[in-house]
Amino acid sequence: MIEQLLASLPLYGVPALFGILVYSSAGGPFPDTLMLLVIGSLVAQGEMKLWQVLVVGSAGAIVGDQIGYCLGLWGGRRLVRRITTKVGGADTVKRAEAFSKRWGGAAVFFSRWLVGTLGPWINLSSGITAYPWPRFIVWDVLGEVLWVVLYVMLGNIFSDRVQTLAALLGNLIWVIVGGIAATFLGWKLFQYFRNAGVTQVEKADIATESGMGASIS
Amino acid sequence: MRQRILHALKTFHWQQWLVATMFLFVVGFTGLHAFRTIRDAIYWHYHQDEPIYGWMTVGYVAHSYHVPPHILYQALGLPHKPPDKRPSREIAKSQHRSMDETRAILQEAITHARPPYPPPPPPNEKGTS
Repeated sequence: MIEQLLASLPLYGVPALFGILVYSSAGGPFPDTLMLLVIGSLVAQGEMKLWQVLVVGSAGAIVGDQIGYCLGLWGGRRLVRRITTKVGGADTVKRAEAFSKRWGGAAVFFSRWLVGTLGPWINLSSGITAYPWPRFIVWDVLGEVLWVVLYVMLGNIFSDRVQTLAALLGNLIWVIVGGIAATFLGWKLFQYFRNAGVTQVEKADIATESGMGASIS
Repeated sequence: MRQRILHALKTFHWQQWLVATMFLFVVGFTGLHAFRTIRDAIYWHYHQDEPIYGWMTVGYVAHSYHVPPHILYQALGLPHKPPDKRPSREIAKSQHRSMDETRAILQEAITHARPPYPPPPPPNEKGTS
């Protein structure tokens, strides 16, 4: 299936690119990073035009994201409402909505080009938590255009080694994301240890003070 | 220092244990991918050629290995004009060959198109090399 879709690129050109990106951005399983690198290579070989690829590719990805958002907004919200009526947890949903309003923009932007695997889930959750659509589309367009330009240009520059490059980038991205997560969690742990240390020192101080008080009296 | 850490661990609630577990998991996950990234970078540095995969077209293989496309079409018994844009796995299937056989044919043609072998002659105009 994946090979057939990849094979359709040199055969059918930009319409195939549009269709595949709508499908993958809406949540369909597909190695879209490899595909954009292949597209970049096809541009370098003179089989596709760069401006067409950038415009049509970005448009396809943006359309696919809107499908995910709309599914979340219309179907997902209704489902969540039904669940909260039966099981409860309306407060948690409200907290999630507030969180989404605060951090949704960053989540949408970074899940377009840095952590693409999360993209379809962020689209759905943005719809479910009713993240404002005008803000969603702005971050979406910025992220998708950056993603398409970045990967197509990388594929264009390293046009003879796209498979190796895709593997390298796939791992490198997880190193970056993992590094950020490890720094955040490590900082949290450090704070716990420091607070526990402060409490210990405070206890020792209280013990010393009470000991001194007893000796004076 | 060691005592302070042990004392802090004793005061941990489940939330702190969860953060500590997640931290260890994330460090392991990142380490694994860092290892793979370094391995890929080393491969990139020492190997000019990448393996031939089923999704690759003959045109892409020729571009990747820096050989004229017509010699690969010729090796597979295909006309080079108009260029066959099917992936190599599909070509293999249509020729009743396995992907490994097709890959071997392409590799051999590539080897013979590169030094110390003499360069292949240019294709004729009809497209049949």
